[in-house]
Amino acid sequence: MQDRLSTTFGALADPTRRAILTRLASGEASVTELAGPFAMSMPAISKHLKVLERAGLIARGREAQWRPCRLRAGPLQDVAGWVEHYRRFWEASFDRLDEYLQELREQSSGRSDSRKRKKEKTHVRSKRKD
Amino acid sequence: MSAQNAKISAGTPGTEKTAATVGSSQWDLVMTRVFDAPRELVFRAWTDTRHVAHWWGPKGFTNPVCEMDARAGGALRIHMRAPDGMVYPMKGVFQEVVEPQRLVFVASALDANDNSMFDVLTTVTFAEQHEKTKLTLQLRVIKATAMAPQYLKGMEMGWTQSLDKLGDHLAKMEHQR
Repeated sequence: MQDRLSTTFGALADPTRRAILTRLASGEASVTELAGPFAMSMPAISKHLKVLERAGLIARGREAQWRPCRLRAGPLQDVAGWVEHYRRFWEASFDRLDEYLQELREQSSGRSDSRKRKKEKTHVRSKRKD
Repeated sequence: MSAQNAKISAGTPGTEKTAATVGSSQWDLVMTRVFDAPRELVFRAWTDTRHVAHWWGPKGFTNPVCEMDARAGGALRIHMRAPDGMVYPMKGVFQEVVEPQRLVFVASALDANDNSMFDVLTTVTFAEQHEKTKLTLQLRVIKATAMAPQYLKGMEMGWTQSLDKLGDHLAKMEHQR
C-alpha cells in the first residue's frame, strides 16, 4: 500500500516546497510567480511542483499557457492530525517528567530544603520549615 | 500551511507551558518546555532507563520494556502499555549522544510483526537556563505508513479514556464524602 501520508511527509521535507505551499496559501499563482523568490531554474521549480502535485498537495489548472497552481488542503489535514496526536503524547509525557524530576530532587536534596510541592513525599527525611 | 499552523496552535487552550510549532521549519514539530531541575538531572532522566520508565508516555502508561544504550549507534527499545492494556512497542537507534546537552535518535513505532509503522527523527536539546533546564524537542517524520494516524489515535484514546475514568471516579469519591 503506497500510502498518502508518507508521500505527503516526503513532499513537505523540502524547504523550497514548503515555501511554495506557504505562498499558495494566500491564493493561486502561476509557475513564474512561484519561481520569483527563488534563485532556481524553471525546470527545478517544475520538478518541485510535480512532487507537490503527486502528493496531492497542489492542483494545477488545465489551461495550456498559464496553469495556475493552487493549494489542496486534504493531505495537509492528515499531517496536521498526525502531528497533533504526537504533540499531545509529548505534552503528557512532559507533564510526567516534570513531576518525576521534582520527586528526584526531593529525594536527593533533602538537605537543601528545596521547594514546596503539591505532593510532598512522606519518605523524604528533611527538616522543612514550612 | 499557515492555516494549518494556526489550527494546531490554537487547538489546545491551557497548555501554554509548552510551546509548539508545526511545519514552520525543517521540523514537523518543535516543542519547548522549561523544567525546574538542573540540566544534568534532566539529561539523566532521559538516558537512564531506571528513570525513563517512570515518565515515558502519558499518565497511566507503564513501560514494561525499557532499554537504552545511550551512545551513538546504541539501541533503544520501549514497550509502552496503555491503561487499557494495549502495548505499543517502539525501537530506535541513537545517532548522537552529547552529555548533557543533546540527544538525537530515530524512533520507530512497531506493528504486531515488529515492522516499523513510522520513523521519527527526534532531537532533544538541553539548555541551562539559570537553575532550570530548557528542553527543546524536535520531531521530523522520516517515514510514515497509513497505519500511523490510527496508531497514534488509538494510543491517545487509551489514555484520555483512562483519565476520564479517573475523573468519574474522583467525582464519585467526592460525592460519597
